Amino acid sequence: MLRQVLTWAAATLIGAFLGVASAWAALEFGRAGFTEKFGAWTHSSAAGAAGAGPYTRAIVARDGLLALSAREALYFTLSEDENGRPLDESCIYELSGPPLAARWWSVTLYARDNFLVQNNDHAGSIDASRLGLSTAWSVRIAPVRGNTPHWLSSRSAGRDFSLTLRVYNPQREFRLSAESLPTLTTVSCSESS
Amino acid sequence: MTGWGKYVVGALIVAIVAHIVAIHAAPRLRMNIAIERLSADGFNRWTFAERVTPASRQIVRPSPDFAYSACAYDLSEGPVILAAAPWDSYWSLSLYAANSDNFFVVDDREAHYGAEITLVQRGRPHPEGASQVVESPSQRGVALIRRLAPSPETYSAAANVAREDVCASVAGLAG
Repeated sequence: MLRQVLTWAAATLIGAFLGVASAWAALEFGRAGFTEKFGAWTHSSAAGAAGAGPYTRAIVARDGLLALSAREALYFTLSEDENGRPLDESCIYELSGPPLAARWWSVTLYARDNFLVQNNDHAGSIDASRLGLSTAWSVRIAPVRGNTPHWLSSRSAGRDFSLTLRVYNPQREFRLSAESLPTLTTVSCSESS
Repeated sequence: MTGWGKYVVGALIVAIVAHIVAIHAAPRLRMNIAIERLSADGFNRWTFAERVTPASRQIVRPSPDFAYSACAYDLSEGPVILAAAPWDSYWSLSLYAANSDNFFVVDDREAHYGAEITLVQRGRPHPEGASQVVESPSQRGVALIRRLAPSPETYSAAANVAREDVCASVAGLAG
């Protein structure tokens, strides 16, 4: 009798574990269905998407809780240089973009832990109010400003930092393509990289 | 069924049920945590968030270019009035249900002079004379106003404008 009870308890525990583990795996692998690559940029359509079903809703809640819908904003992430190497504080990069057909846009630099970099340069984000909407633009990404007019500070960002491009109220002519998004070029890297 | 078969079938049934429960519970749990944090000072009131800096560690990948106001709403005592004061740059008011669905959004392109809505739980009667009624699929949820404010000066101005926002139970206003 006791053996039977223990066997049922074990079967229930194993079943519960398998159920939760398979749910985790479904969400982890299901994310790929929401991710598209445009050049080096990754775009997740999960952020702010309407919950069409339980799996979609669970992925959206994990990757974009309280995010805006695609009609309001598009989010793109870049975490590699043009050669596929992780972004590194010891390198200097140039991010150049065409005019973006949108109401407003911004580029923000995040450390590996997904938060703003712990420095007091006040140069963690740059946006269309400073770079304009109608002309091509360029931003230097480096640990020190130097003589560049537009700068994103990577000081204390270490290795594996990333950039998020937010495009607000994209217009009809805004195309989801590598050509319509900014391009990152490595200018130089110090010997330690 | 004899031998180990019944235990294997039992474990499989538990696994299927646990899988379904986990998938449905995940977004609700995340929203519950958000609602709990945002209602620390009570429901149906706006909280104006501090400007995002490198010290901000609550939400991953925060945008330092926006001034955020959040209201955890509760419709258990009837409809709630939500009003967003106008802002001279991009702003939006978005509503999220308890299961995380973004069920409503309005921005300054549609509402040049600000927005005022009456939020009612789905299936409940609409109050008479209310101009724009929006039905919430759940009793509780989150309202969020984003105002574009990329500099310290515009952030301070947004903080002043946010004082005009309203998130209040109709019953409370009448009382």
